[in-house]
Amino acid sequence: MKIMIEIAVNVEKGDSASVKEFVRNALSQNLSAEKILNYGLIKGMDSVGKKFKNNEIFIPEVLIATRAMKAGMDLLRPHLSEEDRKSKGKIVIGTVKGDLHDIGKKIVNMMLEREGYEIMDLGIDVPKEKFVEKIKEEHPDVVGMSALLTTTMSYMREVVEAIEKEELKHRPKIIIGGAPITQSYADEIRADGYASDAASAAMLVKNLLKHERAVL
Amino acid sequence: MNYRLKILPQNKTIKVREDEILADKIQEAGINLSVYCNKRGICGKCFVKIAEGKLPTLEEREIFLLENKGLSKDYRLACLYRIKSNLSIEIPEESVIQDAFILKTGIKLPIALEPSIKKYYLQLKKPEISDPYSLSELFRSYFQDKNLVIPFNLLKESLNIVEQSKFNVTAVVYNDDEILNIEQKNTLDKNFGIAIDLGTTTVVVELVDLNSGESIDITTAANSQMEYGSDVISRISYACTNPKNLDKLKESILETINLMIKQMLDKNNVNSSYVYEVVVAANTSMNHLLLGMPVKSLAVAPFSSVFTCLSPLPLADLGFKINSCGKVYIAPNIKSFVGGDISAGLIASDLANTKGNYLFIDLGTNGEIVLKTKDEFVVTSTAAGPAFEGMNISCGTLASPGAIYKAEYENRLALFTIGHKRATGVCGTGLIDLLAIFLDTGKISEKGKINDKTKKIPLNGSIYINQKDVREMQLAVGAIKTGIRMILKEFHLSKEKLDGIYIAGAFGNYLNIKNSMKIGLLPQIDEDKVIFIGNSSLAGAKALLLSKPAREKIDSLVRRMRYFSLASHPLFQKYFIEALEFHMY
Repeated sequence: MKIMIEIAVNVEKGDSASVKEFVRNALSQNLSAEKILNYGLIKGMDSVGKKFKNNEIFIPEVLIATRAMKAGMDLLRPHLSEEDRKSKGKIVIGTVKGDLHDIGKKIVNMMLEREGYEIMDLGIDVPKEKFVEKIKEEHPDVVGMSALLTTTMSYMREVVEAIEKEELKHRPKIIIGGAPITQSYADEIRADGYASDAASAAMLVKNLLKHERAVL
Repeated sequence: MNYRLKILPQNKTIKVREDEILADKIQEAGINLSVYCNKRGICGKCFVKIAEGKLPTLEEREIFLLENKGLSKDYRLACLYRIKSNLSIEIPEESVIQDAFILKTGIKLPIALEPSIKKYYLQLKKPEISDPYSLSELFRSYFQDKNLVIPFNLLKESLNIVEQSKFNVTAVVYNDDEILNIEQKNTLDKNFGIAIDLGTTTVVVELVDLNSGESIDITTAANSQMEYGSDVISRISYACTNPKNLDKLKESILETINLMIKQMLDKNNVNSSYVYEVVVAANTSMNHLLLGMPVKSLAVAPFSSVFTCLSPLPLADLGFKINSCGKVYIAPNIKSFVGGDISAGLIASDLANTKGNYLFIDLGTNGEIVLKTKDEFVVTSTAAGPAFEGMNISCGTLASPGAIYKAEYENRLALFTIGHKRATGVCGTGLIDLLAIFLDTGKISEKGKINDKTKKIPLNGSIYINQKDVREMQLAVGAIKTGIRMILKEFHLSKEKLDGIYIAGAFGNYLNIKNSMKIGLLPQIDEDKVIFIGNSSLAGAKALLLSKPAREKIDSLVRRMRYFSLASHPLFQKYFIEALEFHMY
């Protein structure tokens, strides 16, 4: 539908005003909020994720697009059904102790939020105690860790060990990412998954939780 | 009694009083008289000709020094001369300290020649049964310094040396208070030092004549630690994985430097035993690794180092292949992670004493930005990544022969390579030119998008720039731009108020100012205000080698400077993201 394409295109462009206008327009045409979300806003962000992965667009454009998507989302929220509004899962995320890199993790957050996950961002320079504390408090489905330096990535192992030591009934899935991280490092420290970029991180979480649900 | 002192050839006349020391008055008249031995009458460098006025009887040591220089009997040492009459003197050129110019490009800054390592030719009195001086007493009385340090081992060995050369020896003195060595006969003309700029990627070693301040030779090599990791972080992680690795890194760079020193000394027929000091200017990680200091804390926030200032180190602890009695001076770090390369660079540019508002920018993997205003002297550091050094760029290369270092566009693209060699890749300055050109011609958008569907811009043969390369450059340029904009904003200075920007680092004159402004690397100011000062780290090392006052300056400089942290600033993210687009500012 043309109006859906307009919403998606304007999300991509990061044009918040136009996104809002088209979302209002769509709602007034009695299109369902769920449809507008999936075929308009999410479609637009999907394209943003893909283009970012291919280097076609860059960090500022992703951030502006996210802002536009959120603007549209705010209009839609009151119209979404209980089912659609419910979070698909809770994710606690943070950049590990000793590391101050923030932007990459923020982009991952956006991709995950778009998928409907609830994100609790612990920020940067996060010690293992804080990860453990938050896990015990919030019972997240997934814990995400970021490190951009080879000197700080080793701390991820300590966090994994600290989480395991707690012997939680439902140990959250642990995922890691950042420039120096590899799948084999994830395997080595017994993390459940690794993603090379924000778009893949969203896929990874989807797969991990699908699998989890199947097991349950 | 008051007298009149006329000084030639400077043609100055000043009033003086009875019994005042001539050397003091010459200095007060603003003449840079050579008082190498601190006016103790032992170096013989402050001879002046007494054209008119009283000629007191020559002192014993004066006679010997006069003969040595072949000067006539109407010369006297200004530091021993007490004024007793009206005077007219002539100062020979050799008695005035010659300024050395340490920076090769940009500002011409003189530095007074006063090395920490000094040599004195001594004619010691033979002890007699009626006057049984000990050797240590002989030395101390010669220098008129009761507290002169004479190392135990040296004292043990020096008797032989003194006897063999019939009590005529050359003393090597450190900082005027410690005898480092006693050499046979007169070796005054053989006093050398080594200045080193130890970078993460390259090492530059310079052999300097401490008597003249002249550079004798200079040589460059790749930092051999590269095999353990091309960047600082990977070397630190290597050092941390196994305690032996720290030693390996240390040995590796020492071996490289020692080989460079040896080849240079051999080539110039300088015996390594006449080299008594090495001065090293390096970033914090490199000076820690050179000394085998633990580096673990350097690569993890809050990034603390083991040392900032070190007392000069005895060579025995270090392993440089110069005279084993020698010393090593490490240019101090500023706070934890702005290194001695920057403090040395600031000494070379004399920014601390320059009036006005200045930025000093070192464009490297870690971009350091210093702001100097009337009230502030602050430094910040920003992670530009290795793109400026041609790393992480598909066809990137260091600025070596064959590198495309410059590009121009007039109807067609013209590329220039270093040494006019066949193009092997593009180095940092070439990338900056190309980005500016492609922004102009519309091949790249301000957001950094390559507009062509292939996402690739061919340059020359198989050399190209692709979309990922542009992204890497956006990050590198953005980091520097963020640093400059934030430091100016934090200290309420608009770019219009800048009196100048000093650009240090390997980029040198290759950097095109207009293009740098076009892509947002530098703020738009009058182009004449941008001054390239070249390898200021090496120049600073040389200044520290040649001038003791420079060492006092650098100590107060590192104490005075403040660190402005970008990473912990609440506006960092906002500024950084804005800076990722190629906008002029």
